[in-house]
Parts: sequence; C-alpha cells; structure tokens
Amino acid sequence: MNPGLKLLLTILIALEISFTTNLVVNLVLIGASLIYLLAKKIKWLSLLKLILVPFIPAFGLLVSQLFYGHGGPIYAWILFSRIYAYVFIGATFTITSDITELALTLEQNFHLPAKFAYGVLAAFNLIPKIQAEIKIIKTAGMMRGVPLHFWSPKLYFKAILAAISWSQNLAEAMTSHGFVEGQARTFYQPMSLTLKDWLSFGSILVLVQLLIIFAPTLP
Amino acid sequence: MNNRQRWSLRNIILIALIAIFCGVIFWGAGFLYTGLTVMLTPLGMAPFANDILMGLWCLAGPLTGYLIRIPGSAFLGEFLGSAVEVFLGGQWGASAFISGIVQGFGSELGFTMTGYKRYNWGTLLLSCLTTTIVTYLWDWFRSGYNQYGLLMNLGLFATRFISTFVFGGVLTKLIANLLDRSQVMDN
Amino acid sequence: MTQVVVSDFTFKYQHQETTVLNHINTTFASAAFNLLVGPSGSGKTTLLKFIAGLYPQFSHNAATGSILFDHLAIDSLSEQQRCQQVAMVFQNPNQQFAMDTVQNELVFVLENLQTPPAQINQQLNAALSFCDITDLKKRELNTLSGGEKQRVALACIVAMNPAVIVLDEPFASIDPTSRQILIKQLKELQLNQQKTIILADHDLSDYENIVDNVHQLDSTTGKIQRLTPKASQELFATFNQQQHDLPAVSLPDTTQQPIVTLNDVYVGHPKRQLLHQDHFNFYPGKTTLITGHNGIGKSTLFNAITKLIKYQGEISYQQQNIQKLRNLKYAQQVKLLFQDAENQFLEITVQEELALAKKHRNNAFYDDQTIQQILTQLNLANHLNQVVYSLSEGQKKKLQIMIMLIMAPPVLLLDEPLKGLDLQSIKVVVNLLQTAKEQLNQTQLLISHQLVGLAPLVDYHVNFADQHLSYEGVSA
Repeated sequence: MNPGLKLLLTILIALEISFTTNLVVNLVLIGASLIYLLAKKIKWLSLLKLILVPFIPAFGLLVSQLFYGHGGPIYAWILFSRIYAYVFIGATFTITSDITELALTLEQNFHLPAKFAYGVLAAFNLIPKIQAEIKIIKTAGMMRGVPLHFWSPKLYFKAILAAISWSQNLAEAMTSHGFVEGQARTFYQPMSLTLKDWLSFGSILVLVQLLIIFAPTLP
Repeated sequence: MNNRQRWSLRNIILIALIAIFCGVIFWGAGFLYTGLTVMLTPLGMAPFANDILMGLWCLAGPLTGYLIRIPGSAFLGEFLGSAVEVFLGGQWGASAFISGIVQGFGSELGFTMTGYKRYNWGTLLLSCLTTTIVTYLWDWFRSGYNQYGLLMNLGLFATRFISTFVFGGVLTKLIANLLDRSQVMDN
Repeated sequence: MTQVVVSDFTFKYQHQETTVLNHINTTFASAAFNLLVGPSGSGKTTLLKFIAGLYPQFSHNAATGSILFDHLAIDSLSEQQRCQQVAMVFQNPNQQFAMDTVQNELVFVLENLQTPPAQINQQLNAALSFCDITDLKKRELNTLSGGEKQRVALACIVAMNPAVIVLDEPFASIDPTSRQILIKQLKELQLNQQKTIILADHDLSDYENIVDNVHQLDSTTGKIQRLTPKASQELFATFNQQQHDLPAVSLPDTTQQPIVTLNDVYVGHPKRQLLHQDHFNFYPGKTTLITGHNGIGKSTLFNAITKLIKYQGEISYQQQNIQKLRNLKYAQQVKLLFQDAENQFLEITVQEELALAKKHRNNAFYDDQTIQQILTQLNLANHLNQVVYSLSEGQKKKLQIMIMLIMAPPVLLLDEPLKGLDLQSIKVVVNLLQTAKEQLNQTQLLISHQLVGLAPLVDYHVNFADQHLSYEGVSA
C-alpha cells in the first residue's frame, strides 16, 4: 500500500481503539497485525522487542486500574492490550515503510510543499550526527567541570546553536543543489496512489468498523 | 526579522533539527520513565510516571513555538519530536504519532490564543496550560483516566501541569534567555 | 566560458566590528582554475557564498558593490538562471546533502533542475562515472568517509553542469588521495568543458602546476589581490618549505612509566578501518606531536582517548582502563582542546568563560594578575564583555586556549590549536604551553598542520600512517 495512506490508516485505527473499550477488538487487531508482520518476515529479534518493550508501561497501567480504577478487571486488561495494539499496528507501518518514500508520496500525492518534505527529510538524515553532537556537548561540558543533564538549559542551548548553524548549512547546500522553494520539480520515481490502494485502505477500515460493531463484549 | 517569521526552508530544517535534538535527549532519559514506572507499579501509581515526565515529552513544542515565531511552528516541532521516537524504536509505536499530534495541538493553542503577537512568560504559561488540558483530555480516554476517582485525577492533573510548566515554561524561558544574550538568533 | 568580476564589493557582519571584505576588486578569469588564499577568518567563505548567489537570500547584512557573471549581476538572476551559472561545494562534507543515499541525492539535484525523468538515469550515471565513484551509487551518505562525500558533492555539481564551480576549502579534512583525484577532475572540467573554477584553500600543496591564477585575501586590510606569476611561485615555495619544518626530536625513553596506553585498539567502521594498534604508549610531562595525512584518523584517535566514540580494545590512563573511570572524573584529568573553538564554550561573554574556567580549575597556577597579562598579550583585554560567539575565529581560538590553560589539566589533547592565529599569537601560545609543561608537568598531545613556530615545544614526534602510530626521531 502507498506509505502515506498506510500511515493514515494506522493513525486512524489507533485513534479509534483509543475510544473503544472492547478487549476482543484489541486482541483481533494484535493478532491480525502479528500475522501481517510474520508474513512480511519480521526479524525475530524485532518481534521480541515489540513484545518486551511495552510490557512495563502496559503492566503499570494494568495494576493501577486494578488498584484504583472503577472499571473492573476487564477494563484494566483492555488498557493493557490497547498498548500492545498500538505497538503492533505501529510496527506494521514502521517495519514496511521507508522514510524517504513517505516524504516522496507526501510531496507527490498529498501535495505537501516540497520544502517541508525535503527540509524534514534532510534533518532526519542527520540523526546519527545529532546523536554524536549530544555526546560532544555533554563531554565538552564535563571537561569544563559542568555535567549537563536533560534538565540543563545549557545542554539545549548548545544543541540549538548547532541546529542553527546546521540548518543554515543545509539550506544553503540544498539551494546550491538547485532546490528552490515553490518551484516545480520533476519526479524520477513517481509515487502511485492507485485505486487499489484506496480499495485496500477502504476495505481494511470497513473491516475494523465491522469488528468494532459486532465484536462481543466480555462481561 | 522577516526571515524569522516565514516558512522558509531554513526555518523548517531548524524546527526539525531542534525537535530531533530534543527527541534524542529524551530518548536518553527513557530509562527514567521505565525506572519510575517500575517503582510506582506496586503502588498502582504507574500513571504518575507518565505525568511526572509529561513536560519533558512536551518540551519541543513550546520551545520551537517560542523561538521560531511562525504560526504552526509549535505544532510541527512537537509532532516531529514525537515522530523521532518512532524511528528510534520507541515503546509507544504508532500512538507516538497521535500523541505528537495531540501534544502539538495543545502547545500550539497557547500561542494561537495570544495571536502570535506576544512572546513572554504569559504566553508560555498559556501554552503549558493548553498542553496540559488537551493532553489530559486525551489520556482521559486513551489511558482510562476516566475510571479513576476525583482525588487521583486531581493529583494526576496537578502533576502534569507542574511538569509541563517546569519543562515547557521555565526550561524554555531559560534556554531562550541564553539564546537572546548570545545574539545568535538575530541573523 | 564565464568570467566572474567582483567590483567594489564591501561586506560587514552585524555583530562584528571589522569589515570582512573592504571595497574589493578582482576578476576570476573565464575557463581558468582560480585559487583563493588567505588566512582563516579573512572572509573567503563569505566571498564565495556571495559569488554562489547564496547570501542575498540567507543573510540580511548589507553588502555593497557588485558581482558580475560576464555581464549579469548575480543578485539579478532568477533561481533557475543562477543554477545554470554557479554551484558550490562546501567545507563541511556532513551538511550538504538532503537525502539518504548517493543515488537519491543526485536524483534530488536533477529533479530540482526539472530534468525529464527519462534522462535522469543517464545523467546521474554520467556524473558518477566522470567522478569515478560509480561503486558508491547505492551507498548511504552517512557511511561514507569525508573524502568520498566530497567526491559525491562534486558529482552533484557535474550533474548540474553550471558554468562556474565554487569550492570552499573542500579538502579540509579529507585524505590526500581523494584530494589529488578531485583536483585532477576539476582540472579536467576546466580544460575540457571550459568551466571556471574558484577554489579557496589554506593548504597549498598539489596546486603549483595546476592553477592559473592565485588571488590573495588580506585579513587586516580586507583587500584582495591577484598575484603575479612570480609572487605565486614564491607563495608555493614558502609553503612547501614550511611543510618540511618538522622539528628534529629524539625517541622517547621507553623505560619510563607511560601516562596513556593503547592496547589492541581498533577504531573505525566495518568499511573503513582507521586505527589498528597492538600496543602504544604516550609519556607524561612531554609534548608529543602527531602527524599524518588528512583524514587518516588523528582527530578520531583523540575522540577515542576522550571517550567520545566507541572503540575496541583497551585505552588506559595511568594504568587504569578509561572505561572504568567515572566520566566526570576522567574529564577533569584528560581534556581536549576541540578543533572548533565554539565546542568549548559554555557561557555567553568572555568574562563569564574565564570565571567558569577559574571555578573548576585543577590548581590556581594562573592568578588574576597573570590572567590579565595573558589577556593583554593576546589582545583580548578589551573584549571582556563581548559575546563569545561574536568574536573573530582567531579571538575564539585564543580564548579557548586560555580557558584550557587556566583549567590546567594533567593531560591536554590539542587538535589544531594554532588554526587561524597570527604569528605573534602563535608565539605567545607556544610560550604558554611550554610554561604549563615545565611548571605543571602537563602532558600535551598535539595535532597540527601549522608547524611554523612549533619547534621549541615539541619533545616527541609520532607518525600516523597505515592505521599505525610510530615514534620518529633519533635514539636518545
């Protein structure tokens, strides 16, 4: 499916289950996502991470509802399974989508101005450099005798200084590479948004509605 | 000053970079959330971990909104700050996108209410208040806060507001003061 | 076939007192290889960005005068015309690409120029093949070395096919092989495609028989001057001589206790090994100069010693594995003088930076009176209330060195400490380092391209080549 439409679909479904209090719905969505992920040959390690990482927050919410909630145990398990549903539905998007393709389709099919698509993309492609820069800022701080933590204004101040100079450099480089705000561009890799995409989008959405309407509620 | 107030390529990249810097810094503080949750779970108070740290997750919005004074910059900054978590492999999956939208809408609302004309303590306070209210409404449904009693809700709301104010308000203002003094935003 | 005429051009940055470019006049000849030289901070980058048509849009500081491409003023061109006239390769290889892979970046460039999609493949492959980097096509830009990135940057320009190619110190941190290849390819573009090349560099090696004109920017007057062939030759001769000004030193006494030890250390990426060292000692209370080609990994070695990057093997400080030492405690002992001075700053004004340095110093060797003297010697005394980010590059470097000296760490790693300093300041700085070594027994590891004036300081010389470090000199 077109990555833009897929993102929209995962967001819509996640939004819907936030307002749906039905354990069966959550379990079916988790199951369906799991089958999809397995069909896409997800790595076992990634799958293990999907199961382990949300456990602590999900379990915390479960216990809290059991202690202080008025919704009863089923409601607590609904919240527990809801977090897993978010994570598994989210993974169907992240595991199969490429951020570059997402930017391309947002530009071509969803008419996002190119400066947003490529500006944000250029910034995301610097993530490894950003991680290294934070390390440099923290180490440089310690060498001055000042440890910087996530609550230290100076950590962000130095990070923003870097961001200011990098944004200037990147914008200049992109401009020098012929990028002009608001000017037409050609598309080497045309992203398609076909009837088939819309049909699968629509039918999955309808199926989820049917599931929400007809799924049995547990007592 | 003109360049500062429009959606130029440079400003878009700047907002995105600030958001990613924030996202990566919070990512490093992720152990804190896990630790707090583990500690509070036996007491049934795990949601407080979320609300204690809410301000941290919501820092990028007020920060970009306050520094780059374009309508929509707070929303974009906050949304991208959350999106980074998804690409770094965050524990909330697709709901991070939604949280980003909700939080971004919350921080943006404060700036909208001042008409993007005044940028001072009041603006930040307002933005923190709208962020708290909007995100709280969201957790009312998503995280089942509607099933808790009045006392627990009051506690959670107050915690969330204080956290948002400490990070989105006080920390943002301190960062902005440093930037003002350094004059680097001027050109 | 386009000549670039700069006439009566003046420019001054908002928060700086000096005029960077002061009524300059020069002509960059058509279809020629023009070299622009001048000390760092002399305004080379600024001038090049104006020539590349980047500044009217990004900077709001007043500039007067004109820059003409044949008879067209650069600021009168439409964006599309500008792209046909001029494109630029930047100094920092890391911040000039928007996309993730080499292929995607070239596609991005060609799409920007509205190249019909059917032609993109062919033009993209032609550019890669001209630059001889077809094998990099599918690679992610983040995994490339600095040299490879600059070759990709040139491929982007080749694909754009502008009349004038501007390059701002494109070789600052890249290996000599990439440098020679790039210079050769630029020469080809000039001779076979009549491109006008304007290239700024401070390292003059390899240019002598390549360039047609040398233009020199003077940082004190802000003027530019086109050198006569004779003057150019003299410039190259002086430079070549300085390159071989390595001080004659003796080999270290290997029986002494080392201060920093590398054991089986491996630094690098799977595709790019930088250092593979079985055993190596650095000795205390001495200044060790580390030399080696650009891009060989000298700064990376410093990054490993200061725990900025991951490495395999063991690095010890005073016989203790540095991974087992607490970060803050280790950072008090072993400090790095960053190549980029701004990395070192944490406060806003010069005064505040000095106060912070005094607050966390290891000992009070430098009292207030001495500090005042040094400030005067380095011409910083009148800048105490100035914002550090508005200092000139040379002033930043001098302040940075002062901060590190005041903090007086037992081990100081210095990455290009003399960059951008005039001869007078170099003398003062070398003296100060000498004093710190003699009086405080400070260990200094030093990376420097600038060798002039350094000789009195250096005790040992380490050569970094083929992923190995080795001491050079005569036996003591």
